[in-house]
Amino acid sequence: MSPAPIAVTAWGIHVPDVSLDAAIGVATGDPACPPERAQELLGLKGLLNKDAATRLALCAIHRALGLPPRAPRASGPPDPRVAIVASSNLGNVSTVQAVVRTLRTGSLKDVSALDAPNASSNVIATTAAIWFRFGGPNLMVCSGATSGLDAVSLGCTLLRARRADRVIVVGSEPGDAAAHQLFARRAATQRGDRLCAGAAAVVLERADDAAATDAPVLGAIHHSMTVSRDDGDSAALTIGPALGESNDEDRNAGRTIDLTRIIGDAYGALGVLQIAVAAALMTQSPRPSSIAVRCGDELDGWRTTIVRDGAALSVSVPAPAALAREAI
Amino acid sequence: MPALIAASAIRTCLGDGARTFAALLRGDCGVGPIRDVDGARLNVTAGYHIIDDDRHNVDQHRDDRRPDERAEALYRPSRWLADCIRDVLADAHLDAARQRLIVLVGTGLRELRIAERCADDTGQASIDAATERLHFDAAVREVCPGVAQVITISNACSAGGHALALAQDLIDLGEADAVIAAATDGMTESMLAMIGRFANGPTPRVRPFDRDRLGALLGEGAAALAIVPDRTPDVRPLARLLSSGMSCDATHETVPNADGIMRAIADAFTRAGRTPADVDLVVAHGTGTALNDPTEAALLQREFETRTTPPLITGIKGALGHTSGAAALMNVDVAIRCLHGSVVPPVVGLRERLDEGAALSFVMDAPVEATLRLAQINAFGFGGVNTITLVEAA
Repeated sequence: MSPAPIAVTAWGIHVPDVSLDAAIGVATGDPACPPERAQELLGLKGLLNKDAATRLALCAIHRALGLPPRAPRASGPPDPRVAIVASSNLGNVSTVQAVVRTLRTGSLKDVSALDAPNASSNVIATTAAIWFRFGGPNLMVCSGATSGLDAVSLGCTLLRARRADRVIVVGSEPGDAAAHQLFARRAATQRGDRLCAGAAAVVLERADDAAATDAPVLGAIHHSMTVSRDDGDSAALTIGPALGESNDEDRNAGRTIDLTRIIGDAYGALGVLQIAVAAALMTQSPRPSSIAVRCGDELDGWRTTIVRDGAALSVSVPAPAALAREAI
Repeated sequence: MPALIAASAIRTCLGDGARTFAALLRGDCGVGPIRDVDGARLNVTAGYHIIDDDRHNVDQHRDDRRPDERAEALYRPSRWLADCIRDVLADAHLDAARQRLIVLVGTGLRELRIAERCADDTGQASIDAATERLHFDAAVREVCPGVAQVITISNACSAGGHALALAQDLIDLGEADAVIAAATDGMTESMLAMIGRFANGPTPRVRPFDRDRLGALLGEGAAALAIVPDRTPDVRPLARLLSSGMSCDATHETVPNADGIMRAIADAFTRAGRTPADVDLVVAHGTGTALNDPTEAALLQREFETRTTPPLITGIKGALGHTSGAAALMNVDVAIRCLHGSVVPPVVGLRERLDEGAALSFVMDAPVEATLRLAQINAFGFGGVNTITLVEAA
């Protein structure tokens, strides 16, 4: 039984300090503000005491939802049919370590009560739910190198199980000293590898629902599989490391975009960023018929997710101009 | 669609599943002095620890251990998790080489104690800690080679409930032959600091739903449930997993919201095709905090207000502490043992019920024998992430 296809209907990329546009040939929007200037996109209210990974995640979701800068925040009751799945490995380690250091140099009184939410690993997912009024299932995935694609996969599961009608998947990693230090301690980290701080978000819907509501189907996630690095369909384009030896021309006949080599390793955010880039590339002309998105490492295993052209679902794909407005 | 619970294993401060249940029936409490941290400075002097054997005892810094051995001894939640998964793989006769097997690990605190030790200036900064060990791929893959996916879900104090909900979804969708819903948590100094920061004074023990409750204490432990499709041949199920409801309050980070939880309750019963009138037993979240217990008690009164005889209610955190992400699945293990034994252990630590629960049938002081068919398990987490699980006698 082939699982029902899931449509990617919008994406947002928010990676400060680097430019993806030239490397992938897609406009990802205005330059991304760093987390300490997140108010430029999100507005000032409510950002006090939000940590960097949470701010970056909010910015990426803000973009994916197509909201203008400093748009008024949603009010009213939370929507129980919208779920969020967030992915991050290092988002809260800075707060956790800071609390311990404060205890060493001072006393319990010096530990800020305002740090309490940020010490919890799921602060990104729950803060986004409160911020954007997502009342459906709320998941925080902290699952290493495959975490971003794990989150996308669980988002598809929530839709197929009809636990939500829309799922926002967001990946985010901060660029603080604690995150860099722990990233450097990864066994898979090689000399020269660096952590890329930033966030990306995608909006997922069941493909039949998206067709019924005229939502733009940017790409269709047909299946998601966990495999060794060298398994996987042959795709016109691979986002992720090349199969086998990178000079194996038979196995890598299509184009390969390894984002990690371009902007650094987005770690827990990577899989979501890759899906967002795949969705963006699907708006181009000519667009690839399928994209294999792959991430992982030898300890955490590998995951490959296939994104196909949304037109294959027999639903209309809007003109790129309309998509750009929707997405950015 | 319902699924089957083919096996269940837990590790708590009171032992494995059978030992823990026997201790609950006796009314034992697993609390002891806090270990591994300076409790007086943290305003947290007690906890519900698993006492490891010497080889794994982090309090004894044996100099002859290599750094990697010393580090290995620190990955205690990983070890309890691996023990539970090994148990359910054997009991449910699962084989990752022949079956598509997915493991979902719920956790509140991950192995963040390791990240804390990396930050510490007390001489342990040089421990051989790998960032990959913050999550649980390595621990699971070691005892379950060939597993298709391992996903760590860090959903605070309802993480295990979320893992179980997703496990049933994956089975329902045919994406796996079996899913192990697992969970594990130890203690972190930062989380203890937050508990101490908000406590008036050190809490000696957890008193769920008690008028004089003083707050939560952390407990240690892990749990794993093997979930397989309904009508799987050759399976003698422990219980039927009817459904889990999930919701997010989306209102406040730390204050529970009754409307948000009610949505999870409604979701669970809709999916199961049952009503609150069918419930015989509730294993409550019951953390012993100022906010959770009155909110949960009021909710339970609301849920069962039309019934002339409310269901029996018990809770395990007075005996086992708040085991964070593992709590929900420990509740399920205890619920299954209640269904099998037709007996419900008392809420250890509950002496005088709070006013909000005046109309509820808490099991107090001694076990109650009863014929039980359907159990409801509550789990609520930081940020308002809720799961309600319904299990039925097989």
